[in-house]
Amino acid sequence: MATDKSSRFDNVDWEAVTADSGRALSTNLLGTLLCVVPLIALLVYDFVALGQYEDTFAFVGIGYDVTQLDWLFALSLILFVFYALLPLYQNPRITRYYWREFKRNRPAVVSLAFLTFVFVVGLLGPIFISQPEIDLVTQYQPPIGMSVQNTYPVQCLGEVTSGASGQLCHGSLAHPLGTDSRGRDILVMLIYGMQVTVKIAFITSLIVITIGTAVGTVAAYSGGMIDEVLMRYVDVQQSFPTFIAYLLILYAYGGGLFLFIVLFGTFAWEGTARYVRSNALTKSEDEFMKSAELTGASTYHIITRHLIPNTASSIITILTLLVPGFILAEAQLAFLGLGDPTAPSWGQLLSTGRDALPYAPWITLMPGFLIFLTILAFNFLGDAVLDALNPEAQAESE
Amino acid sequence: MTERVGDEPLLSVRDLEKHYPITQGYLSREVGAARAVDGISFDLRPGETLGLVGESGCGKSTAATSIINLETPTGGEVLFNGGGRWNRQRNEDGSHPNDVTAFADDELFAFRRDAQMIFQDPSSSFDPRMSIGSSVAEPLQVHGMTDQGRRRAIVEDLLEQVGLAAKDYDRYPHEFSGGQKQRIALARALVLNPELIVADEPVSALDVSIRAEILSLISDLQDEYGLSMLFISHDMSVIREVCDRVAVMYLGEIVEIGDAEEVFTDPQHPYTEALLSAIPTADPRAEQANIELRGTVPTPTNPPSGCRFHTRCHRVIQPDGIDIDQENWRSLLNFRDEVLAGQVDVESAREIASTAAGEGDDADIKSELRTEFDLPESFADASVDETLADALDSLLDGDDETAAEQLSTAFTTPCEQSEPVMTDHGDGHQSQCLLNESAQSAPQPTPSDD
Repeated sequence: MATDKSSRFDNVDWEAVTADSGRALSTNLLGTLLCVVPLIALLVYDFVALGQYEDTFAFVGIGYDVTQLDWLFALSLILFVFYALLPLYQNPRITRYYWREFKRNRPAVVSLAFLTFVFVVGLLGPIFISQPEIDLVTQYQPPIGMSVQNTYPVQCLGEVTSGASGQLCHGSLAHPLGTDSRGRDILVMLIYGMQVTVKIAFITSLIVITIGTAVGTVAAYSGGMIDEVLMRYVDVQQSFPTFIAYLLILYAYGGGLFLFIVLFGTFAWEGTARYVRSNALTKSEDEFMKSAELTGASTYHIITRHLIPNTASSIITILTLLVPGFILAEAQLAFLGLGDPTAPSWGQLLSTGRDALPYAPWITLMPGFLIFLTILAFNFLGDAVLDALNPEAQAESE
Repeated sequence: MTERVGDEPLLSVRDLEKHYPITQGYLSREVGAARAVDGISFDLRPGETLGLVGESGCGKSTAATSIINLETPTGGEVLFNGGGRWNRQRNEDGSHPNDVTAFADDELFAFRRDAQMIFQDPSSSFDPRMSIGSSVAEPLQVHGMTDQGRRRAIVEDLLEQVGLAAKDYDRYPHEFSGGQKQRIALARALVLNPELIVADEPVSALDVSIRAEILSLISDLQDEYGLSMLFISHDMSVIREVCDRVAVMYLGEIVEIGDAEEVFTDPQHPYTEALLSAIPTADPRAEQANIELRGTVPTPTNPPSGCRFHTRCHRVIQPDGIDIDQENWRSLLNFRDEVLAGQVDVESAREIASTAAGEGDDADIKSELRTEFDLPESFADASVDETLADALDSLLDGDDETAAEQLSTAFTTPCEQSEPVMTDHGDGHQSQCLLNESAQSAPQPTPSDD
């Protein structure tokens, strides 16, 4: 093969090569298109052919109406698969290298496992587990290992014992993590909450990465007037009071989780843009950027193939700080009663347990604990990913 | 496609200029320019290696990036006749169809196949997130080779040619040593089968032991594929090893150019002499005239008048009426320049004089200043002695301006007054020095394009 005449660089007939060059689609782009085109077709079908309250998948007999949030979530999942997971599979050597570096950080490995668990359960759980039903008879069931005075539950499903302060209701396997004030199973609600969390994480990441990276790298690479205009706009947007805008829209038009995610997502990329820009500025001075320019590659090629992959570590780092911020913000708004009451988020669950805190603390404790763990996991992960994605720094320190 | 006729050069650089504007204030008013490259001209014939040598900051690298059009030059022409562009005539408006600086986008894209560059720092010249195989194959992909298998085959073959293994294709830059990376850089520069390679200090960042290997690889590949090369280095010994011709650059200008052998055995410009004297020799007993350049190093923002090298030249010309020891003349001019710049610190000389054994009176201060600037107590010329004594008196009186005036009216050199032109020494050996002009009695005009 290596002695084949066409496989020597000095035997390439460039006239012929450039003449027949059609733009080759990369596997990643091809895959994305193959998934996004049906998605858009479905979206158009849903909006044009179906009424507002008809189920999207009614034609195959599934009674599920896809929400606005689901469309965005599907898009971000597709992009995640083709531009985060697939490249890792395509470049096994560097993936193994990253993994070796990443593995050194034990808490980060545990965090990754935990977050993967939240992702998988959040994604698939609601498909297999039906929504928690309101059943006032089974309200305030304590989790296994806890008990509550038998006056709170209407009917105790577990063992009832007599204690010093009256009869005690104990937790049972029917509701391993107990139930809330309306008798809904907390474990199921937590699983539904995971999906909300995963949606928040993915959609905000999609918005922030797309806009922030595009603005940051283009500003850094172009410089001059483009840089000036983009970064001054970032300054302007950074001073925009997003929270007040959210409240105004909420009171004027009402809104749900979709409003929260889209509004806070589109007004949160400024920091990312600035951070990416500063990182991209140093990278664009490197000689490998010059040698890429020397090949005659277009600006688009240089930014997407060289600049963005090399600023990836900064993008991921800032994401691991931003995403927990969003999860926390959602929980806080929900707790204050400004959230989406229809979205079964952890924050919503937290707020339903607010009044029952003295006698049924598990209702707030369970989601609170999960939020705490998730945010902690993100922080550990960010640290380790930053270290692992920096091969130059590693090579220099060796 | 046209064929080469006669001895048309592959690359012909004419009066190339790259000035970086220096701006100030909110409105970015231009207050000056750093003349990194200030009018250089040379020819490069097919298969030839031209060395561009000079100290750090003299504009070598800027010249390289301007020639290859990574940066747009601010003036001059870069005529590239390779890639089937031979034997084209000038347009009617005087522009040349082969002028790289005026190429349209598609022409520039095609030019990228004909001329490539190797950078100095092998550790940063590869994308750390790309396997080196993809890095080397990238130019192929950019230029429209969509067949991935073919790209891989070409690159694997090329990697073997530069002394690596085909299986290194999938490895990443951090897994290679500096020397290996420079081999890969060569492979990437070669992959589009260019006619010209600009190598910007390709071995400066490497160990001495690796350097020789890379240099011999470069000349092997050059012989095999008939490459022309512009080889940039600050190291005369490296230049001597690889180059057919040498151009010596000083402060944005070429001061001497000629066949390597000629320039090395018979340097015509004092700066070349100084550079050559800095090459270490293997024989410890060999007599070496190590020329030390004294005087102020000028900046490209404000280059000296006349000959740009006169502020440091050890052979700076004495004017009519002064005939003293050459070394003392250099010291005298250095002293003059320092006084003119207001850099002479009489107070610290006074302090040193008073703490030393002497009385600390004026005589001691003067002798302290003379020691500091290597000025002897007496020169072979009485009028020189007198002027210097007067100037020292004025300095001690705190009258710096009078001292400066006294010195600058008495001590002048033709080197700062008239700009030297290129003098031909035969066989394309040219230098730009007033000494050579006067030696040839009748100064010749710069020879036109050869």
